[in-house]
Amino acid sequence: MRSKAVEIKNFTKKFGGFTAVDNLTLDIYEGEIFGLLGPNGSGKTTTLLTIATVYKPSGGDIYVFGHSVTREDYEVRKLVGIAFQDPKAMWIDKPIDLLKWHARVVGYSGEEAKRVVREVMELLGLWEHRNKQFYQLSGGTRKKVELAKVLIQKPRVAILDEPTAQVDVLSKHALWDVIKKLRDEGTTVILATNDMFEAERVCERIGIIYKGRLRALGTISELKDSIPSGDVIEVQYEASSLPGELLRELEVYGKVKHESNRITIYVEKGEEKVVDIVDLFKKRGVRIKKIMVKEPTLDDVFTYITGAKLRGEE
Amino acid sequence: MLRTLLVIASWDLIKLKNQKVFIAMRWAWFTVQILVFARAISYIVSHSVTQYTGGVDYYHFYILGVYTTLLYSASIARGYMIADEFDDGIVEYHLALPVKRNILAVGRVIGSSISTIIFTFPMMIIVYMVLGVRDILAILVSLVSALVFSMGVVSFVIMIVFTVKSTDLTDIIVGAIDALLVRLSTVFYPLPVIMATGIAPYYIAALANPISHMADFLRILLFPEYYLVVQHGLWASLVYLIGFSMGLLILAIEYYEKKLEAGGWR
Ligand SMILES: Nc1ncnc2c1ncn2[C@@H]1O[C@H](COP(=O)(O)OP(=O)(O)OP(=O)(O)O)[C@@H](O)[C@H]1O
Ligand SMILES: [Mg+2]
Repeated sequence: MRSKAVEIKNFTKKFGGFTAVDNLTLDIYEGEIFGLLGPNGSGKTTTLLTIATVYKPSGGDIYVFGHSVTREDYEVRKLVGIAFQDPKAMWIDKPIDLLKWHARVVGYSGEEAKRVVREVMELLGLWEHRNKQFYQLSGGTRKKVELAKVLIQKPRVAILDEPTAQVDVLSKHALWDVIKKLRDEGTTVILATNDMFEAERVCERIGIIYKGRLRALGTISELKDSIPSGDVIEVQYEASSLPGELLRELEVYGKVKHESNRITIYVEKGEEKVVDIVDLFKKRGVRIKKIMVKEPTLDDVFTYITGAKLRGEE
Repeated sequence: MLRTLLVIASWDLIKLKNQKVFIAMRWAWFTVQILVFARAISYIVSHSVTQYTGGVDYYHFYILGVYTTLLYSASIARGYMIADEFDDGIVEYHLALPVKRNILAVGRVIGSSISTIIFTFPMMIIVYMVLGVRDILAILVSLVSALVFSMGVVSFVIMIVFTVKSTDLTDIIVGAIDALLVRLSTVFYPLPVIMATGIAPYYIAALANPISHMADFLRILLFPEYYLVVQHGLWASLVYLIGFSMGLLILAIEYYEKKLEAGGWR
């Protein structure tokens, strides 16, 4: 059994009367890249900030390599580094000043700090921006400065809150490699994201939270298997609206998600059902533009889990 | 530990170098205030007031008051900067650093007050030049006392900022305290003059006011004859200042350790 890097135990966080995270229990193992997924406002950042001891739990506790965030916060901070979702800097700050200061706070001497800051800035393509003021940096560049802090620190546990949001596609691939390399060098990574592609590319295990509660947990293939209907039929149709009868008839086959001109049906044995479904569309006089039977993607898993909750089907 | 403390304190010093224009403007304004307006005011009042100032020229009395007010408002301004930082999430960043919370608190307070001293240093030089002060020891003592005073004020304003967690509310509260504290002090009016008004609360407030003690401490330090009109001596003011600052610093440390939590900024 792998040892636990982070142990979240019945963690609850309230802001006034509002419960942002509700009784979350979850283990993150040493040496893995763990993905925390959830729609906006589901409590990802709240959870991550509590692991980093920025917030205090309202209930339960979180342990980082056995140290409690409530009772041994300093021990925890020595093990954890975080790249925030919103880059932390004043408009007037220069990346080079910020990162050098950061390097010294996390323990580098003056000369070492200079060296490691340059190394990391070059790795992330930040060196040319080192003397710009923060307001002059693009959103993606700011995110890279934030990630640079963690790379400089090389903590036992790295918390990355949507590290590649606003980052261009090419840089994303580079950053994913950087994140994997950080893990290979012994850092446990917790990564919050809304990007399913990113989660599939870099995360080994995933937890999906919604409205502050854990809704699914496992490896990517476990999650895909966990959808009751194994296949996904996607229909694109040519009509401005869909007859309500048709929707009800489709729901007999499985869960249905309806967006403009596209219907996704989660079914068992997709190849067999597809003929029936085409017939149903014909019967109601709706022309099909395109129909596909797919294996579920993580996107589908996510939509299935959170979408079902959105419709109130607990 | 000391190393970490110094690194934390350097946070504010690094910021200082990005504010050159602002600082230069403040220096210029201060010089004008000392050389032009202060002279005008003292010309008006000096004849009627010298009896209360123990023979000290009111102009000298006044500009030491102006300098003390400046120390106070520059320290308060550091608090506003920290409020701005809270707004931009810097506080969250600092709270996540591998640093003990008490070191973080002391580091920020020291960093802020050293910045205040650096910021006000040229103004102090102008004041001392005008006053003709040459005693190096007195200048050093006045610098250290200014640092101690600033640490108290910074601790105080940091606690307000973190308690109200709102830029607007900080403005209102600090503005109100500011207006009262400066007026109910001896920065511009000597204690005997205040006593002569016969308004007891005014006199008591001025006597208990840290700003009064800072200004009077400098006056006695630089013009011993002023001692005659202040009922308490150099040591009394010194003890008061140290007590004031250390008390507030300890409260600020407690605050960082026990209560401070990011989030909820309005
Ligand atoms: N400091 C705070 N005070 C009050 N409510 C808060 C605070 N921080 C977060 N919340 C609320 O808690 C809930 C969870 O927020 P959180 O930032 O953790 O979500 P998230 O999953 O990170 O979302 P996103 O994907 O948008 O980053 C939200 O409803 C949010 O409004
Ligand atoms: Mg978030």
